[in-house]
Amino acid sequence: MQKTSAALTPGLIAIVGFLTLCPVVMLILGSFSGELGAFGAFTLDKYVAAYTDPAFAEILVSTVIFTLGSALVATGLALFLAYLNTRTNIPGKFMFGVISLIPMMVPHILFAVSWVLLLNPSNGMINLFLRQLGLEGAALNIYSLTGMILVEGLLDLPIAYLVIAPAMSAFDVALEESSRVCGASNARTLFRVTLPVLRPAILAALTLVIVRSLASFAVPSVIGMPGRIYVLATHIYSIVATGYAADYGMAAAVGMSALAASITLIVLYRRLTREGEKYVTISSRGYRPSVIDLKGARYPLFAVVALISFVLIVLPILVLFYTSLVPYVMTPGAKAFAAMSWRHWVTVLKDPVSLLALKNSLFLGVGGATLGILLSFFVACVIVKVRTKASGLLESLSFLSFSFPGIVVGIGFMWFFVQTPLYSTIWALLIGYIATYLPYGLRPLTSAFVQIHSHLEESSRVCGGGPLYTMRRIVLPLLVPGIASGWILMATMFVRELSLSVVLSRPGTEVLAVQILRFAEDGLWGRLSALGILMIFISTALVVIADGIAKRLSRRG
Amino acid sequence: MKKIAVLVAWMMLCAAPCALAAPQAKAAPVSADKAKAEGKVVFYANMTSVEPVMEAFQKKYGIRAEYTRLSTSKFIATILTEHAAGKLTADVLQAPVPVMELLKSKGIIASYVSPAAAGYPKWANKDGMIQSFGIEYVALIYNKDLVKAADVPRTYQELTDPKWKGKIVMADPATHPTTISWLVGLRENVIKSDAEWRAFLKGLAANNPMFVASFGPTPAPIETGEKLIGISMPKYIVTKAPAPLDWARVSQPMMGTPRAIGITAKAPHPNAARLFVDYWLSREAMKIMADQVGEYVLAPGVYPPIAGIDKARVIPIRELSDDEIKKWGAEFKKIFAK
Repeated sequence: MQKTSAALTPGLIAIVGFLTLCPVVMLILGSFSGELGAFGAFTLDKYVAAYTDPAFAEILVSTVIFTLGSALVATGLALFLAYLNTRTNIPGKFMFGVISLIPMMVPHILFAVSWVLLLNPSNGMINLFLRQLGLEGAALNIYSLTGMILVEGLLDLPIAYLVIAPAMSAFDVALEESSRVCGASNARTLFRVTLPVLRPAILAALTLVIVRSLASFAVPSVIGMPGRIYVLATHIYSIVATGYAADYGMAAAVGMSALAASITLIVLYRRLTREGEKYVTISSRGYRPSVIDLKGARYPLFAVVALISFVLIVLPILVLFYTSLVPYVMTPGAKAFAAMSWRHWVTVLKDPVSLLALKNSLFLGVGGATLGILLSFFVACVIVKVRTKASGLLESLSFLSFSFPGIVVGIGFMWFFVQTPLYSTIWALLIGYIATYLPYGLRPLTSAFVQIHSHLEESSRVCGGGPLYTMRRIVLPLLVPGIASGWILMATMFVRELSLSVVLSRPGTEVLAVQILRFAEDGLWGRLSALGILMIFISTALVVIADGIAKRLSRRG
Repeated sequence: MKKIAVLVAWMMLCAAPCALAAPQAKAAPVSADKAKAEGKVVFYANMTSVEPVMEAFQKKYGIRAEYTRLSTSKFIATILTEHAAGKLTADVLQAPVPVMELLKSKGIIASYVSPAAAGYPKWANKDGMIQSFGIEYVALIYNKDLVKAADVPRTYQELTDPKWKGKIVMADPATHPTTISWLVGLRENVIKSDAEWRAFLKGLAANNPMFVASFGPTPAPIETGEKLIGISMPKYIVTKAPAPLDWARVSQPMMGTPRAIGITAKAPHPNAARLFVDYWLSREAMKIMADQVGEYVLAPGVYPPIAGIDKARVIPIRELSDDEIKKWGAEFKKIFAK
C-alpha cells in the first residue's frame, strides 16, 4: 500500500500541480505585469501600490478577526452538533445531517440578505419583534464584525461539520471506555480524550473555514460594506471596481497575502498533526463507537438544537420562501399576504436560460463531484500514508487556487483557459471547479485516512490479500463516511459555484449561480429567491441520495 | 513596362479594400440576406435584461442572437484577454462610453454609422465608431409609502437636511465608478461653485448614508423601508413594480453615463453585426428597452413609462478617465469617512 502510494506521488503532483498551478501562475505573471493582462513588461509597481496603502493595516486586522471568528463559530457549532448526532442518543437524528448542510446549499448572497432582512437595525424583523416586546434600545445590528462572523460562521458550518462528523463516527470506543473505567465522567472523557484525539479533524476544519472565509465575498459585501467594515475580499473588490479598466494584476498582488496565509496554515497543520500515529483510532480491535445515554438531558438538549436550527437556519430559509412569493420585498403584514402569488416561480420555470442553468449545474454537481472525489481519494492516500516532502508539496498545491479570493481566481482561470481549446466550454467549468475546490474532497478524506491504522492493511496482507483486495475490502468500507462527506461538499459547492462561473460561463454554459447573480444585479429578489430555493432542492436531493448510498455501503462493509 | 503594369496592379489591389471600406462605413441598409447567411450574431453587453430585444430581433430576422453578460468590472479584462488570444467571438459590444473608448484605443472597435441613428443627438456619435443610445440616468429614488409628498427633495442639496440622517442608501462613493462620476457631474453641471459642492458632500456624509457595492442593491432597502431614500436609478420603478418607489422631481437636470454600442473590428459575422446594431438603434427596439426595462434612450420621442420622465432634462456626464475616477474615489473616501 505504502509502496503503491509512493509510486503514485509524482503522477499526482503533476496532475494536481497542473490543475492548480496554471491559474495561479497566470495570476503571478499578471501581478508583475505592466499591462492589464497576464503578459507585460516586468514591474513591481503593483505590489508597492498594494502594500503601501495606508488603509491596508486596518483591513488586515478586520480580516484576521473575521476569519478566525468565523472559523471558531463554525467549528464550535460543528463539534457540538456532530457529537450529539454521532455519539449520543438524542432524538430526531435524521434532521441533523440535513440541517447542518443547508447553509452549504444556499447561495451565500441570499443567505446574507435574509439575515439583513431579519436583523438590520432600522426595520429587521427580529428587531421589530423585540421592539414590540418593549425592548426599544435593544436593536441588534447585523452590520458589524459580530454580524459578519455569525453569518459567515453559519455559512461555513457544513464544511466544518463534514470534516468532523466522519472522524467522530470512526472513533475507537476503547479509548473512551478506558477513561471511564479509570473513573472519569462523561464530560471529562470528552475534554480529555475525545476532543484531543479529534485534533486532526478539528484543525482541518479550522484551516478550511479560515481559508474559505478569507476568500468569501458575499458576507463582506452584503453585511460588511454597509457597516463600513472592509476585509481583504472587499478591499480587492474595490481595487477592481474603481474605474473601468479593472487591474486584476494588482488584485492578484493583494491576493498573494491570502495565498501566503493559507500556505502557512497548511504547513502549521502538518506540523501539528505530524505524529500521525497518535490519532489512529481504528486499529485492529473492536471498532464500534459507543452511544452515550443522555438520560434526562435528552429532550432539553434536543430543544437547544432545535432552537439553534430554527433561528439560524430555518428562519432565513423561510424568509427566502416568503420573498419568492411577494411581488417586492415588503415587511410582512396583511398587505403582504394579500399580494402573495406564484408569479416569480412561474417566470423562473418558464425562463429557458434558468432551465438550462439548472441542467448544467446538476451535471457539474454530479459529474464534477464524482471525478473530484476520485482524484481526492488518491491524493489523500498519498498525503496520509507517504509523509515525505513530496506529499507535503502535494498538500500545499491542493490549496493553491482554493485560497485565492474568488474575484481573482476566476480571472486566473480565464487567462489560462483562453490559451486552450476548452475556453467557453462546460469542461472549462468542470476542470476549474475540481481544481479550485479540491480541498473539499481532500479534507474529509484525509481526516478519515488518518484514523485507519496500517495494522489493518498489514493484517489483510498477511492473510494473503493483495493490495487491491485490501483496498476494496478493508480500506474503502472504512472510508465511506469520509468519501460521502467529500462528495456532498463538492457537489453542493459545484451546484452553487459563482466565482469561477461568472467569468467562464458563456451562452450555452449558463449555471445557476450566474443566473441568480443576474437577478441580484437587477434587484429581482423574488425570482432570485425562487431559483435559490430550486437550487436548495437539487442539493438536498443530492445529499439525501449520497447519504443513503453511503449508509448502505458502510453497513455492508 | 511590364514592371510598371505589375506595380499599378499591386497598387490597385492594395487600394481596393480601402476604397471599398470607406463608403461601407456609412453604408446603406445592410442586406438581411447576407446577414442571414452568416447564421448568428454574438453580443457582449454590460446591460442587464436585454433578452426581450434579443428575442424580438431573432423573431424578426430569423438570425440567432447570443447574449453574454459581462459586468463592468470584468468587461475590459475579458475582452482584452480574448482579443489577445485571438478568441474574441463578439460581433457587437455594448458598454458605458468610457469602456468603449478604452477598447477603441486598443483597435477593437470598427467604424460604423448606423442609418437607424439618424435622429439621435449629435453628441451621441463623435467618431463614427461608438454610438451612444441611452443614458444610465441617476435620480433620488424614495419610498412613496413612507415619505410624505411635502418631504420629497426638490433639489439635490436637500439630501443634506438632517431629517434624512441614517435614512439614505447609496453605492460606495469611494469605489463605484458611476456614483463617483455622478458626484463629479454635480459639480460640473449642477452645483457650479466648488465651495457649495463640497458643502453638499459634507452634508451628505454627515447624514451617514449606508453604502452598498453598486446600484443593483440600492432599491431593496428603500422598498422594504430599511432606508427611505437613495441615490439610485429610476429604471427600478419599472423593473420592480409594484414596489412603492418614485423619483424626486428635482428642479435640476438628471445626469448619467452614456451607454454605447459598437461593432468589433474583426467581427466574425460582420453583416449580422450591422443588422443587429441597426435593429438595436431602431425605434422598435428602443421602445422595448424603455417599456420593459425602464431605460432612458436617445431615440427621439421614446420614454420609459415613468410619470414625468418625458419632461425631465437628462444630460450625459463628461467621460472621466480611470485616473480621475480613482483620484475622486480617494477624495470621497476621505470626505465620507465616519
